[in-house]
Amino acid sequence: MLISWNMLNDIISIPASLEEVAERLTLTGCEVESIEYPCRQLKDVRIALIEKLEKHPEKDLLFVAAVNDGIGTAVVVTAAPNLSAGDRVPYGRPGAVLADGSVLGTRSFGSVESQGMLLSAEELGVPEAADEFGILRLSPDAPVGEDAKKWLGLDDAVLDLSITPNRGDLLSLLGVAREVYALFPGTEWKNDPAQTPAPAEPKEWPSEFRGITLEDDGCRKYCLGLATGLVPGVSPLRVRIALSFLGMRPISNMVDATNLAMLTLGQPTHAFDAGRLAAPEITVRPAVQGETIRTLDGKSHSLQDTDLLITSGGNPIGIAGVMGGENSEILPETRSVYIESASFDAIRVSRTSRRLGINSEAAFRYARTVDSALAEIALNYIANLLKEWGSAQSAYVIRSASSERKDQVTVSITGKMLQKILLTGDLDEASQILQRLGLKEIAAEEGKRTFNVPSWRPDITIEEDLLEEVGRIRGYNETMEPRLPQVLYGRGDIGSVTRLKGDIRRTLLSRGYVELVNYSFLSPSFVKLLRLPENDRRARPLELANPLSGEQSVMRTILLPGLLRSAEQTSLAGWKSPVMVFELGRVFLPLEEGGHEEIERIAGLVYGGRDPRLPYGPQEADDLFSLKGDILALAGSRHVSLQFVQGEEPFGHGGQTAGIEKDGRKVGYLLRLKPSIERDLDCAPLYAFELDLEPFEKDVLPSFRESSQFPPVYRDISLFVPSESPMEDVVRHMREEAGELLRNVRLFDIYVGKGVPEGHRSLAFSLAYQRDDKTLTDSEVDGVHACVRKKLEALGYILR
Amino acid sequence: MTSILGELEIIEKNFAERLSGAASSDELQQVKVAFLGKKGSLTSFLKKLGSLPTEERPAAGEAINSLRDAMEQRLASKKTQIEEAESAEEERKNRLDVTLPPRSRMWGGIHPVAQLTQDVVEILAGLGFSVALGPEIEDDFHNFEALNIPASHPARDMQDTFYFPDGKLLRTHTSPVQVRSMLRFGAPIRIVCPGKVYRRDSDPTHSPMFHQLEGLLVEKDISVADMKGCLEALMEALFGRSLKARYRASYFPFTEPSLELDIECVECSGKNPSCRICKGTGWLEVAGLGMVHPTVLRYGGIDPQVYNGFAWGVGLDRLAMLKYKLTDLRVLFEGNVPYLLSGRAL
Ligand SMILES: [Zn+2]
Repeated sequence: MLISWNMLNDIISIPASLEEVAERLTLTGCEVESIEYPCRQLKDVRIALIEKLEKHPEKDLLFVAAVNDGIGTAVVVTAAPNLSAGDRVPYGRPGAVLADGSVLGTRSFGSVESQGMLLSAEELGVPEAADEFGILRLSPDAPVGEDAKKWLGLDDAVLDLSITPNRGDLLSLLGVAREVYALFPGTEWKNDPAQTPAPAEPKEWPSEFRGITLEDDGCRKYCLGLATGLVPGVSPLRVRIALSFLGMRPISNMVDATNLAMLTLGQPTHAFDAGRLAAPEITVRPAVQGETIRTLDGKSHSLQDTDLLITSGGNPIGIAGVMGGENSEILPETRSVYIESASFDAIRVSRTSRRLGINSEAAFRYARTVDSALAEIALNYIANLLKEWGSAQSAYVIRSASSERKDQVTVSITGKMLQKILLTGDLDEASQILQRLGLKEIAAEEGKRTFNVPSWRPDITIEEDLLEEVGRIRGYNETMEPRLPQVLYGRGDIGSVTRLKGDIRRTLLSRGYVELVNYSFLSPSFVKLLRLPENDRRARPLELANPLSGEQSVMRTILLPGLLRSAEQTSLAGWKSPVMVFELGRVFLPLEEGGHEEIERIAGLVYGGRDPRLPYGPQEADDLFSLKGDILALAGSRHVSLQFVQGEEPFGHGGQTAGIEKDGRKVGYLLRLKPSIERDLDCAPLYAFELDLEPFEKDVLPSFRESSQFPPVYRDISLFVPSESPMEDVVRHMREEAGELLRNVRLFDIYVGKGVPEGHRSLAFSLAYQRDDKTLTDSEVDGVHACVRKKLEALGYILR
Repeated sequence: MTSILGELEIIEKNFAERLSGAASSDELQQVKVAFLGKKGSLTSFLKKLGSLPTEERPAAGEAINSLRDAMEQRLASKKTQIEEAESAEEERKNRLDVTLPPRSRMWGGIHPVAQLTQDVVEILAGLGFSVALGPEIEDDFHNFEALNIPASHPARDMQDTFYFPDGKLLRTHTSPVQVRSMLRFGAPIRIVCPGKVYRRDSDPTHSPMFHQLEGLLVEKDISVADMKGCLEALMEALFGRSLKARYRASYFPFTEPSLELDIECVECSGKNPSCRICKGTGWLEVAGLGMVHPTVLRYGGIDPQVYNGFAWGVGLDRLAMLKYKLTDLRVLFEGNVPYLLSGRAL
């Protein structure tokens, strides 16, 4: 919301500077985002009288003017075709500065030396205020010799206020003036626009007008003004300048008058060409489903029965509070207009404007509630302007219809609540603050005051609202010292999920991984990249109804694509070292029975990098087993044990994919990516893992076991194991056979090659036997060990 | 006798010469053999002892033995000396260049927002707040209705929302967790809810996904001053020093009164009129806060006549940017490995 400092000072006298006002507004909830001086650089421009104007002696297209700027007479050359002797114009002598900062000087045009320049609206910094091509001509009452910057209001400052949605009343000069009045005791009203008197005109119906009918309670009040004998033209220059400062393009006297009324009072109005209405009557009714209207901007809209329409003779002439219809738009030849000033339901206007995508100034204000008391006042205001400007022969309010219930809102504030929330018991101070805001105290009891709320503050309905008003105007900074809540609490619980994430984060960071946070949305193309088959629920991500782009249109069902993208992008950007990344985040999976579930996951990805050379040799490079170590480390940090089984994933390498299980339930995968995906991404090798967090969530204490006092006895076994038989099976068989005595089995060698039968590998284990109650004798150990060997042989393993 | 002593002196002199010339264990062994071995000079000399007159023998024997003891002692000390030198030489040969890189992996890269979230949660746990989490896909009731933002309320314009075809939405703030937690735990309650939130915002300075942390305290007789105390304690702990705070009145549908907290610019403390971080204002907007609206308490099943409290929301990404002096928000979500590793000490 743009506010003109000059206009504000026209209606109130403020005992404070612009900066003080801005600071106070910001602290009390109406943030001043900027203060602009649109013509800040303009300097030393005076109003001058053209005493004489002649053609340039040599140059056809130029004129030579003798001007008097109150200081003296000067000769100046101009190309403007719109001047004549006797005109008053802005003139800058050599040394004067234009709005764009350029400094005027003396310049020769043929034999004539031009001192400075006569100026156009553009050179003054207000191009939109021009009403004709050429130099800006001022009215005959412009005082010669006066500073043009001041006289035209070009010295104005414009405040850009950020208005919160609850304060529709601040979307006007009047509202801001009321606010400043409350903020600065000592402020006086000079010229309250809310007190605009009605013009002295007939109050009865014009004979031809049949009346206003309200058929929908979305319109509580509908006022109509009539202006006849319109004189087409522009509004006064100062108004045009002010409008352009406030972001509104000056259009015509009629339109400018309605815009000025809206900016000043906050009441949107709309002018219909009286001659173009289908019938001399107005009816406000709900739209018929499917009914259409073409609005001022030339667009057609199909309406619903919740939309509110202004009609005449049955034809729609406007969408209430949103935009007028093209069929009744005022035209250059329009000579009489009906001006609508009404009160429409905020929610109805808001719904319609949102659905139709029309963000008009009117709809914006109605959606934030317009004070219904303003309806007639705005018409008076416009009528007065039109008459003052000589833009209409006659202008007055002709009629209003209203179904308004005038329920006066009454709210009380108690000393108890003031004390509790704001730590002050001063009800008198609170009452003074509220009264300056326009509330009227109607009852004062012990510890309690009751107020009537003014019509422009529909946001105040409960005691907390009054507390907020008192609080914000007293200020929250100096009025109370910060303190901690009086009740002592123990330490809070960060919760198992946060603890778990912390443990995982620390573990993976120490193992060299980089933590990523990727967007939760993906491009649907990830399904194809990962070769997910249709029957895989990860291939059916939730789709956003209104995504920002196709790249971010579905919710991720798996963390892997984000990590892959990072590896791919990092490598494309020229990074050659290995990439190790992880992410903790949620995936969103559809459920068979409908709906979805959100699952917390941890995923990691390791890419060897473009340049695999390593100082200590290739055995240093990461592979499936180094990632397995990482997974076991993070499981270890939570005291959870996991099992790895040969597995399958659509995106996993056919021979290098593991399912990760906890207590027999699948909780994730560890794999090398399918070679064809590695080729798609031009990154190989790529290893990845992904796990649900839920199995790690419970905080588990480690369980310790006292070690035996008697030394263990070691025996080795080496055997040929078929390639497809898991090592863990061998270990399991050993343990089953040896029972309690076998305390530990350690693999110390894997060998494939010479001497090992085809399709086999040689595995060598060191077995530790131990008892808690005595030292094992060699013969005891040999006995058990022989059984183990025999068992393995019986199972078909070839012992060496 | 005199001649014997003279000969011994010669042997001793020879020995001393040879010994000082020995530079290795082998050479030392040779010296030992040459003098004390079976055919060594001293041993040979001892054999001559029998040819001496009987009365001279004891004295000569004593002289020889004492010389042998002395020689053995000197050999032993020389041996230690040589071995130490040889070992030192061996160690020098096995010298490693300690500036080579480690064989194991380096420390990884923290994500500033993840790290900051953890820090904030720990700080608030110290003030008695427990973590509560909620879904990222929410329904209209929890995200809007129960927070006093009915349909068509202009406040909905403040938060452009991502929707799903079934009407569900991506939460636009962490505030829905307030309502869920009140319904679940009742009052009194102190919780914080960190998490991802989403807004349909394509502005280059905004990301459609970012991180918020919601705090909620509902007890008895809670004032604005209590809220100020908690927020300032958080900021002080987070930035490691006391920062000036400024409160501005504001508006949020779910709090009444509503405020915004600005802290002193962490970069310039308001001393640099062209400061890039605070744009010369000296203040940084860090939190929206307020006393919980009675309507929200009622939606949460809590009697506003008995309990009251406050809630706040902070942007974790923004705090991370301020704390770690980051300039670009969106780069944090682009999986930029070199960037994330750049914060690591090497
Ligand atoms: Zn700064």
